Amino acid sequence: MKSMIDRRLLGHFDWSIFSLTILLSIIGIINIYSATMIGGSGNLYKKQLIWFLIGFGFMTAITFINYIHLERFAYPIYILSIFLLLLTLLFGRTTSGATRWLNLGFISFQPSEFAKLAVIIILAKYFNTIKMPLKGLSIKGLIWPSILVFAPFILIAKQPDMGTALIVFFIFVSIVIFAKVRVRILVGIILASLPLIPMAWRFLKDYQKARLMSFLDPALDPLGTGYHILQSKIAIGSGGFWGNGFTHGTQGQLRFLPEHHTDFIFSILAEEWGFIGSLTVIALYFSLILLGLNIAQNAKDRLGAFLAFGVSAMLLWHTAINIGMVTGMLPVVVVPLPFMSYGGSFLLTAMIGAGILANVSMRRFIF
Amino acid sequence: MIIPYLKFRVIIILLSFVSIFIIIFAKTVELQVLERDKLKAKADNQHLKTMNIIPMRGSIYDREMKELAVSMEVDSIYAQPFRIDDAGKSANLVAAALSIDRKELESKFTSKKSFVWVKRQLDFAKAEKVRKLNIQGIGFVKEGKRFYPNPQVASHLIGFVGVDSKGLEGVELGYEEYMAGTSSRLIRERDALGNEISLGSLRQESSKGSDIVLTIDKTIQYIAEKELFKVVANSQAKGGMVIVMAPRTGEILAMANAPHFNPDIFFEYKSPNIWRNKATTDAFEPGSTFKVFLLAALFEEGAARADDLFFCENGHYSVADRTFHDVKKFGWLNLTQIIKYSSNIGAAKAGDRLGKERLYRYIKDFGFGAKTGVGLPGEVGGSVPLLKEWSKVTIGNISFGQGMSTTGIQLLSAFSAIANNGYLMRPYVIKRILNGKGDAIEEFRPSVIRKVISEETARRVTNVIREVTKTDGTGVRAAIDGFEVAGKTGTAQKPDFSVGGYSSDKYVSSFIGFAPADNPEIAILVVVDEPSGEFYGGAIAAPVFKEVATQSLAYLGVFPRGMGTTAQDWNTRVKGAVGYPKDRIAKSLYITQKEPDSLDWERKDFSHMPDFSARTVRSVLRLAREVQIEVRILGSGKAVYQKPLPGEKINHGQAAEVWFK
Repeated sequence: MKSMIDRRLLGHFDWSIFSLTILLSIIGIINIYSATMIGGSGNLYKKQLIWFLIGFGFMTAITFINYIHLERFAYPIYILSIFLLLLTLLFGRTTSGATRWLNLGFISFQPSEFAKLAVIIILAKYFNTIKMPLKGLSIKGLIWPSILVFAPFILIAKQPDMGTALIVFFIFVSIVIFAKVRVRILVGIILASLPLIPMAWRFLKDYQKARLMSFLDPALDPLGTGYHILQSKIAIGSGGFWGNGFTHGTQGQLRFLPEHHTDFIFSILAEEWGFIGSLTVIALYFSLILLGLNIAQNAKDRLGAFLAFGVSAMLLWHTAINIGMVTGMLPVVVVPLPFMSYGGSFLLTAMIGAGILANVSMRRFIF
Repeated sequence: MIIPYLKFRVIIILLSFVSIFIIIFAKTVELQVLERDKLKAKADNQHLKTMNIIPMRGSIYDREMKELAVSMEVDSIYAQPFRIDDAGKSANLVAAALSIDRKELESKFTSKKSFVWVKRQLDFAKAEKVRKLNIQGIGFVKEGKRFYPNPQVASHLIGFVGVDSKGLEGVELGYEEYMAGTSSRLIRERDALGNEISLGSLRQESSKGSDIVLTIDKTIQYIAEKELFKVVANSQAKGGMVIVMAPRTGEILAMANAPHFNPDIFFEYKSPNIWRNKATTDAFEPGSTFKVFLLAALFEEGAARADDLFFCENGHYSVADRTFHDVKKFGWLNLTQIIKYSSNIGAAKAGDRLGKERLYRYIKDFGFGAKTGVGLPGEVGGSVPLLKEWSKVTIGNISFGQGMSTTGIQLLSAFSAIANNGYLMRPYVIKRILNGKGDAIEEFRPSVIRKVISEETARRVTNVIREVTKTDGTGVRAAIDGFEVAGKTGTAQKPDFSVGGYSSDKYVSSFIGFAPADNPEIAILVVVDEPSGEFYGGAIAAPVFKEVATQSLAYLGVFPRGMGTTAQDWNTRVKGAVGYPKDRIAKSLYITQKEPDSLDWERKDFSHMPDFSARTVRSVLRLAREVQIEVRILGSGKAVYQKPLPGEKINHGQAAEVWFK
């Protein structure tokens, strides 16, 4: 019985999701190599390679575990995730004013990254189980999922990690729209959140305010916070059409560009591989996310559809916010670029997400 | 199925996803395609730091392509302090090798700067010493350094450059934009912290400036200077000048100023007056030499003839509140004698006959009161009082060269018009400008400013002023064996600005003339400022004219009539006489042109062969096309010989031949 399923499954195995994921991760490792060549952190690409291999294992495993089981373990996963976030707040490692890392002795990671997956799974379970009104969700239907999202959101925002918190919020809004919400409610929510903006401003830490201001006018303080955006734009622009060549970027190489191997990896790529390089990578993300959307639309059940859509939304918002930030369209919000930015936790999260996509994709023909 | 209810929203969501990607894509296009150059420049600005290094400057040549000023590549030493391990020890070694201050060097070596100059423009031996020390963090670049092979020759005309190799005076200043090499830079890469990065190499980009070819002839310049310095020394004069001009073309062959200065150490002279080229920058009252122009105006207007008599009042002539004096008491003199003996009273009376309007017009026509446009920085135009300010006294004064001022170059240009059938030529010192490959990028040709007097008048004026150098004329000491000289002496009292009026013991002695009188090859002005003792132009300046003219004419291969035609003969005589080494073949430098029309070379001359000498093949072909002749190119390199010779009539339909080497 089991072997039969496996054979049928293998026939529908989604090679394209796997290829895109591997391709993007390898491009990431190559650029991390180039970005960290000078300055004593030359072995980071090896670490990333190890994370990639671990991630590949997880991705493969997730692909072959029927996603029904994800629904079954939705609450345990969710509660574990909240627990880890609480632990982080209490015992986490604080670097540069933010407490994002949880050290388990042998390994340290960012629970906020995995919380995104937990949110996707719990929301998928919720929308799969409720009876969907024809006119769309009413306020009543939104109360419980709002509470489910608010808990991790507030814990992450408290670290503070506004970028990740924002992503969680965006995932939630995306899924709600996907699930069909009454238009007046959507409009109502938007109108209601407008007065929250000045309130949110007061919640922001000074450096976050500064980042926001410098986004509005980078030239205001080119050597302070505006520096990041300006330098990133200069790096991207100086790559031109054909790029300066692998390891031949000057802005990234010469450390004009801060955090170049994590949040600004796209700038490194754009400087060294030019417009051709950035176009290729943007096309890869576009394909991956559209594939995800396609998988969601063609999923055999609502659970699969919500899971695939949640993951696609997560990848989309990460990509859009990251590239939007490094090209100067958005404020500096620390959001890594899926598969490419240096960092194990998010690479693992993104690859598990890709595994979920492949999982749903593979099972759409099997009833 | 469950799915259809998703359909509409999926399309909406799909569209929003696509739009987000379109925005990202558009932004990438903006940054990497549209704004690339701007951002690239910003990036370069950040990581490339440039140091200006002194480029190779163009050379200055005389008309025979002999070097007057050249730039040579020399080493400059710099240090990158962060790469120096032991600043103290390194400073010791380098300071000893260059004999410079050790402490100062050590502070340079320990500075926070990423780049410091140790010593610039060193001679080879010293640079080699430092090179042998082989100290890490010490580097070398090539910079251009100015050398004047004969620093005493034409120093006022050529000028000099400052420590940064920028022209400060003379041709060096006036043609700075041509001669300066394109800003040469030393480029270094640095990282965000300003550190020099080890991968970055020092790159040097430089290109040499254009060369300037002067109309000056180094030999004639040397003759002029030698004779000028001699007279200034002997008469203990304050200074002086000698200008030699080719009257038919306006080319300046020599422009000598005294006292002389050495451009290599210009900064050691206390007063900038010493290095000013007074031949163009300082105006003086010309005195009696100016009577020549009065004479020309009288003849041209038919107001007087050479044998018209004027009563010279026995040396005292009162006009209004002034009394004019003559050196001797003259009675009745004709116009020729007035010039020959230089009677001021006679000149004043003749000027009165001409009238102030006409005299003023001729003075302006001869170019007084306006810059000549000789092409040198700081030229002044002298001053001529406005006509409405002329009094009865003014007309007398100006008739013998008082109450107005002129520069040497103006005076000689105006005088040359008499030697040149009445055509006033624009004087010039720059013959051509050559780019790095030796092609002429600018070529200066003789140009007529205007015709001032008729040929007939010019001839008649010449006949009068020939008398000056004969038997008992004031300029008899300017006479040359075998040649007739046309000229005029001048002895002007210097205006005394402290008390007003004229000084009684300060004179400007001058002589202006051309030779041979019937076929003028050179026109020369000699001015000696404040000679002590003897001060008459005829006694002080005339002998200098004689020496410069004799030696220059011999050098130019212009032989006296009846001397026989062998150059050898005359050369050997002159060589012995003036002690000047002379190995070149005597030949005429100038195109002899008889028709006055063809003097204006600005209008292309299609009837005579142009001078191809020293031009490149390409430049010869271009010039040949302009004058519409066919040429056969023989050999390669620079033109050395041509047939027909320069100035010969072009026989259209027959190809010219040009030899290159």
